[in-house]
Amino acid sequence: MSNYKLYYFAGRGRAEVSRLIFAAAGQQYEDIRYEHSDWPAHKQEMPLGQMPVLEFNKTKIPQSLSIARFLAKQFNLAGKDNLEQAKVDAVVDTIADLMRKLSPLMFDKDEARKQQAIKTFQEEELPKHLQNLEKLAELYGQNGAFFVGGSLTWADLLFYEMNSHLLKIDPNVLQKYARLTKNRQEVEKQPKVSDYLKSRPETPF
Amino acid sequence: MAKNDITFYYFDLRARGEISRLILACGGKNYKDIRFNFEQWPEYKPKMILGQCPVLELENGLQLPQSLAVARYLARENNLAGKNNLESAQIDAVIDTQLDTYNKFLPQFFEEDETKKKEEMEKLLSVNMPILVENLQKLRQAYSGKNSKYFVGDSLTWADLFVFDSIQQLLHGLPGAKEKYADQFKEYLDPVTSDARLKEYLKSRPDFKVI
Repeated sequence: MSNYKLYYFAGRGRAEVSRLIFAAAGQQYEDIRYEHSDWPAHKQEMPLGQMPVLEFNKTKIPQSLSIARFLAKQFNLAGKDNLEQAKVDAVVDTIADLMRKLSPLMFDKDEARKQQAIKTFQEEELPKHLQNLEKLAELYGQNGAFFVGGSLTWADLLFYEMNSHLLKIDPNVLQKYARLTKNRQEVEKQPKVSDYLKSRPETPF
Repeated sequence: MAKNDITFYYFDLRARGEISRLILACGGKNYKDIRFNFEQWPEYKPKMILGQCPVLELENGLQLPQSLAVARYLARENNLAGKNNLESAQIDAVIDTQLDTYNKFLPQFFEEDETKKKEEMEKLLSVNMPILVENLQKLRQAYSGKNSKYFVGDSLTWADLFVFDSIQQLLHGLPGAKEKYADQFKEYLDPVTSDARLKEYLKSRPDFKVI
């Protein structure tokens, strides 16, 4: 019986970074996925009526990035000491800044307006976020392929997941960014991550 | 100041910097509290790692950006981040929940379009604040120790400091919030205002300038 239960919808969304962490760590867990139609029946069971939620030893934790950070620390994927963990957090927050700007655009039902907003985002917002990530990789990465400290951390996994959304908008999005390109390639090569990426279900989101 | 203290760079505001100042005050160690106004910012911007602030600069010159990454680092250094990984996660979850509201509030506070600002602030007051009140109650109930007045476990953590600071900013900057919510939030502010370690700092820190 697993100590870890992850509750989310039947998709990647805000839970996928945690699933990548479990995979990279080789850690068993219950991957509970609710269809949208089943969700109302379970909403009351979640601390804030939202998902993802992690249940660990009977304690429920909401909030996707808090969950991911907890799991990363459990499995030594969060940075070797407090300072490395802070560098990892800084990279994560920079990725989250980018996601916060992009996500709302993706939900616009007006297709023409959505496409225009995405184009504006690509021209005016996206470059500075990617430049910031390159800079952090340069300063914290000790000349390796990973963002911090020479080994895989959850910052690399979050970037991988976030970047898969960017690639759908523009397959060449990382063209100008040598470090970020190398980072993505290196994450994909990690055996446990690679296996997971091949075997995970295809979902619409 | 002793040799090379750590240096905290931010505007002369509370906004996204105050949480780190509160943690540092609680920890009691010396540090350089560098504050600048908007006119001075162009001098500092090129020296900041991502051209943003706050930034924490360590004794050896290494810089950390991102207000929450800095605050969490300082909280751990000053034993305010929980007794174990699970408590740290509970603290993070409380803070993320407070941020769900605060991250909507702060950009609107600086919104120049007065009509948009008024509309968004009203929405925050009528829709988001009640949800925040409910969510904070639920999490404290789940995570607080038995007979504890603190958010997580049995002692002050940066969850208490973060909620304290964020609520004070909301009560100050969200029209109507003070009248409607000051009483309800008192139980979150008292454990912080009554902490002996913070007495000096809370008395001597500058009043609100803007936010």
